[in-house]
Amino acid sequence: MINIEIDGKHLEVENGSTVIEAAHDAGIYIPHFCYHKKLSIAANCRMCLVQVEKAPKPLPACATPVAEGMKVFTASEQAVKAQKGVMEFLLINHPLDCPICDQGGECELQDLAVGYGGSASRYKEEKRVVLPKDIGPLVSAEEMSRCINCTRCVRFGIEIGGQMELGQAFRGEHAEIMSFVSGTVNSELSGNMIDLCPVGALTSKPFRYKARTWELSRRKSVSPHDSLGSNLAVQVKDNRVMRVLPIENEAINECWISDRDRYSYEGLNTSDRLTKPMLKQGGQWQEVEWQVALEYVANGLRQIKSGAGAEQIGALATGGSTLEEMYLLQKLLRGLGSHNVDFRLRQADFSADGKQAGVPWLGTSVAELNKADRFLIVGSFLRKDHPLLAARIRSAVKHGAQANIIHSADDDLLMKISNKSIVAPSAMVASLAEILQALATEKKVAVDNSVQPLLQGVAASATAQAIAKSLASGERGVILLGNFAQQHPQAAQLQLLAQNIAALGNAKFGFLGEAANSVGGYLAQAVPGASGLNAAAMLAQPRKAYLLLNVEAELDTQNSQQAIAAMQAADMVVCMSAYKHQGVEYADVMLPISPFTETSGTFINTEGCVQSFKGTVKPLGETRPAWKVLRVLGNLLKVQGFEFDSSEAVRDEALNGVDVLSKLNNSLQGLTVQTVSTTGGLQRVADVPIYASDAIVRHSAPLQATQDAMAPCALMHSDEMKKLGVKSGDLVKVNVGQGSAKIKVSADDTLPDGVVRVAAGHAATAGLGAMFGSVTVERV
Amino acid sequence: MNKLFYYVKSFMLWELLKGMALTGRYMFARSITVHFPEEKTPQSFRFRGLHAQRRYANGEERCIGCKLCEAVCPALAIHIETEERDDGTRRTTRYDIDLVKCIFCGFCEEACPVDAIVETRIFEYHGEKRGDLYYTKEMLLAVGDKYEAQIAKDRADDSAYR
Repeated sequence: MINIEIDGKHLEVENGSTVIEAAHDAGIYIPHFCYHKKLSIAANCRMCLVQVEKAPKPLPACATPVAEGMKVFTASEQAVKAQKGVMEFLLINHPLDCPICDQGGECELQDLAVGYGGSASRYKEEKRVVLPKDIGPLVSAEEMSRCINCTRCVRFGIEIGGQMELGQAFRGEHAEIMSFVSGTVNSELSGNMIDLCPVGALTSKPFRYKARTWELSRRKSVSPHDSLGSNLAVQVKDNRVMRVLPIENEAINECWISDRDRYSYEGLNTSDRLTKPMLKQGGQWQEVEWQVALEYVANGLRQIKSGAGAEQIGALATGGSTLEEMYLLQKLLRGLGSHNVDFRLRQADFSADGKQAGVPWLGTSVAELNKADRFLIVGSFLRKDHPLLAARIRSAVKHGAQANIIHSADDDLLMKISNKSIVAPSAMVASLAEILQALATEKKVAVDNSVQPLLQGVAASATAQAIAKSLASGERGVILLGNFAQQHPQAAQLQLLAQNIAALGNAKFGFLGEAANSVGGYLAQAVPGASGLNAAAMLAQPRKAYLLLNVEAELDTQNSQQAIAAMQAADMVVCMSAYKHQGVEYADVMLPISPFTETSGTFINTEGCVQSFKGTVKPLGETRPAWKVLRVLGNLLKVQGFEFDSSEAVRDEALNGVDVLSKLNNSLQGLTVQTVSTTGGLQRVADVPIYASDAIVRHSAPLQATQDAMAPCALMHSDEMKKLGVKSGDLVKVNVGQGSAKIKVSADDTLPDGVVRVAAGHAATAGLGAMFGSVTVERV
Repeated sequence: MNKLFYYVKSFMLWELLKGMALTGRYMFARSITVHFPEEKTPQSFRFRGLHAQRRYANGEERCIGCKLCEAVCPALAIHIETEERDDGTRRTTRYDIDLVKCIFCGFCEEACPVDAIVETRIFEYHGEKRGDLYYTKEMLLAVGDKYEAQIAKDRADDSAYR
């Protein structure tokens, strides 16, 4: 700690911090454009010039480290004169037409020009013109003449996003920000550049010219799209969501949000929103009143219960449903006498059920990820599934952590990967076993008896040994199982192995939660327990009635073809959904329920943080919050304990006053390990593309126009393609289970041999069978 | 003495005569009554009457949809919705002024960076229903188109004093 003085105020500040940090911590504002607390120092805008005693010239506060006894004057005559001079230079080339600019009203340059700008311009010469650029469907670079070359966007790309998609080309007056390499900005975090841009050069394309910042009311919400639970500011005008911005929360999303969180709102007011309850009568859909629809559902459920038995009723919810919705859904089902309720729709292996000591979670806090020094990431499309967790791991790697991955696809994670083992899905268990073996040898300890069967005949490869060495040499290791590992047919074995590796390597071990409420679903008891059927069993052994909460059966399940078949065979399918979707083909009742912006609720994120939110706008049309729909349904069916008058009451009953953190436990005990013999032939590797993860995202037009949302191809190694005699761009028929799809084939030489990567969650591949298992590809 | 003077004045109806004298003087003075609508009082070029939306000489509407008038309006009489037009500029898709709410303060005119919304000299408009005084973009542009010559002249005259 050293002593400095800013504007006569004595401060004790950390050695090595800069003047601007010290000043801002002490509540003294220094004007700035290029400085941002999360980015590196560029010191190119010169707006933060301050006077320092004994320094001959004003110094930039952002790039001047504090020194003992330093006396800084931020508002002295010299400092203000320097700042005003800088402002005049900045305004030379900046257009002075704020009323036209989309940033007007929330522009840092506009705000500071009020204090430091002249009342009239002395500059009479021609202004610089920078041509507009098209950098993709999300970020608008139409007004590049407004750019003041602060390079925040460039530094964000390099430092947080992990790739340099925007750069500054040319020099001096000709310097301009442009995209190169690919021409468009494809980062899944690109929207943050809009927030960072201090002027109107980079603005939101979907929001462009839609509203002015002062017209919007700002309401807090929580992201329903991934398990991080990013804090959102939903901005509303005339009962319509106009845009979404991040709310800073250092423990969760820092000051960023992913593009999925930022632009999904565009899917909220599309024409295919379901706004009235609908009944299918005689093959025709009819709009009916809520009363009629709910009584129809209640009667139907009563008949099936008395006729075929309550266990013929099944309920499925997506992991993006709120805690309250899932709690009431399972309470309704259990009240009817059925335990068939599940939210883990993409999971294939349920053998860990009942053997798990608690609710599976991240195993550490989100913020701790930045401090970890060793990572082993098992089966995760990290960047696409968890954009901001990936950014945290990237930041840790940048500060010296080692990242090791085991996966079936080698997507660029935009960070330095120390060791990777890219194997077919069927070899993942063996691959993890090798690491355990190698780690046990490295540490010279014996492995637990429970995993011995998996280690039989396993010889550690060089990669496995390198990963084991990497893990053994760290102090704060973290082993994470991604979505792919959780959806894997031997997920429990992967978990058991990871748990043992973590125990040997003194590392933390956890799951990268699959959906916004992966932890909440367990706490809401939306899992079948010992006497019910889980999600996979419910579809494999078709039920007579299904209640679907937010679920689009063909897109949100592990085995899409089986799901469609089960729905078509059922006597009654009740779709509670915000959209008119494929469900119209198999459903009997469509109940319009509110998406996250129109209902209150709670998400419990992957680190166990309980975040409740309120509705930000009124429900569209006759849409109703799902918890209210389920409550009325409970009353109509005369199920006990459905007298709730607020979602908070539901939440309090669901959580029952217990500390959520005490319920989180990843430990798996007593799993009987069965080795699975693999069949030859090609295996499917299925990812859920980032913009296919849930219904709202799938309806967002700007997100669907991005590269990440392109129609899925069958990706194969070029050697495999040669064997088949096809080349990139050819149409092929992909058969999985009893379903098939005709899609284009494309070469991807980073894939291991013997696999075909076919994405799930997309209409083009909706008819296909399981996300894992054998697949055949035919020429068409 | 004063009391006596007071009684004399009262009995001679002095105040009444004083008043009648004033009335009598006006009987012979020049009449200032304006026979509206045949006659009209002179108006300042700063007169704040009915609103109009202006166009440029090439027919392009001036309004850029910056919404400053909406923000400044103390009576919340203006409602604007904007969108990006095909040529990439921001244009209003809706520009309504509720003349029932309007207090004719002229702030909208002052706030406008492009002199698009102006107040004209027209004050003799009426509505038979409440809704008739809800002016939409088309109505405002029509007013502007009709009186552009006068509007332009008034702005030019006023500019000397700004």
